[in-house]
Amino acid sequence: MKRILRLYPSAWRRRYGDELSDLLEELPATPATTVDLLRGAARLHMRAFFDRVAPRLAPAGGPPMPTHPLQRHPTASALVAVLIAAPTAVFVSLSFLAYQLELPGMQAWLQPFMDGLQQAPRIVDLFLLAAPFLAFLLATLPLIGLRMERVDGELRVTLALRARTLNLIVLAVCVVVGGFLASHVLAEFLFEQP
Amino acid sequence: MADRSPSSDPGLLLLISLAGGPKHGHAMLLDVAAFAGVRLGPGTLYGALTRLEEDGLVEALPLEGRRRPYRLTDAGLAALRGRLSGLNAAISIGLARVGSR
Repeated sequence: MKRILRLYPSAWRRRYGDELSDLLEELPATPATTVDLLRGAARLHMRAFFDRVAPRLAPAGGPPMPTHPLQRHPTASALVAVLIAAPTAVFVSLSFLAYQLELPGMQAWLQPFMDGLQQAPRIVDLFLLAAPFLAFLLATLPLIGLRMERVDGELRVTLALRARTLNLIVLAVCVVVGGFLASHVLAEFLFEQP
Repeated sequence: MADRSPSSDPGLLLLISLAGGPKHGHAMLLDVAAFAGVRLGPGTLYGALTRLEEDGLVEALPLEGRRRPYRLTDAGLAALRGRLSGLNAAISIGLARVGSR
């Protein structure tokens, strides 16, 4: 049962670990005790988490705090966008090298992947198509601040844009990849229809 | 409906226990079981004790062998008095209303 103590936050263990460990020697090891210890560990981790996060969420003067979570975490949003768009970006880049620039050997190397994609479930296609647009939104939304307020009886809408290098790079990549993909799909639709 | 009775508040039970004098963890568990009929688990006990100590309502005493006793602080005594007065008022009103039916 003492092994469960390893699940407690380390700072907490340094202060109370020995006491709780001694107490456990005096108590019968029952499922209820085990569950109670696990619940205690979870609660302490939650408290430690909120103690870390709460000061960052509390405004400490200065300009008004951005309102939605994406604005509070622009870098995290950009990184998630990178993860989402990465498979499509790799696929589009390789396709461009193989079929547009016709690099020697690339088409033969890429063919098994293309065959696999042909046989993959439709959802894979849809994800590859939608990913750049979803990633674009994720990278862009943190840069846009829209504020609506009523001043002297009239509605005032303020649009604020901010520039963050990582987000701008990601959205530029999304535009290129998404544009390439869209033009490719459009060309297929226009010229390969019976 | 969630149980909001004093017996579901480990912090209050520990304050009541320590109002009877300093105790270590196991003694608190036994005391709470005796006066409230509630068997607190060790995780619940130390979770509540951590909070009470952080809030300055209880304080740790020097180790006695391998056990560390805790005692109520003045702030803890005042907080307990306030909680019990509030509960007492609610209980009095509740009993009066039940009695009048």
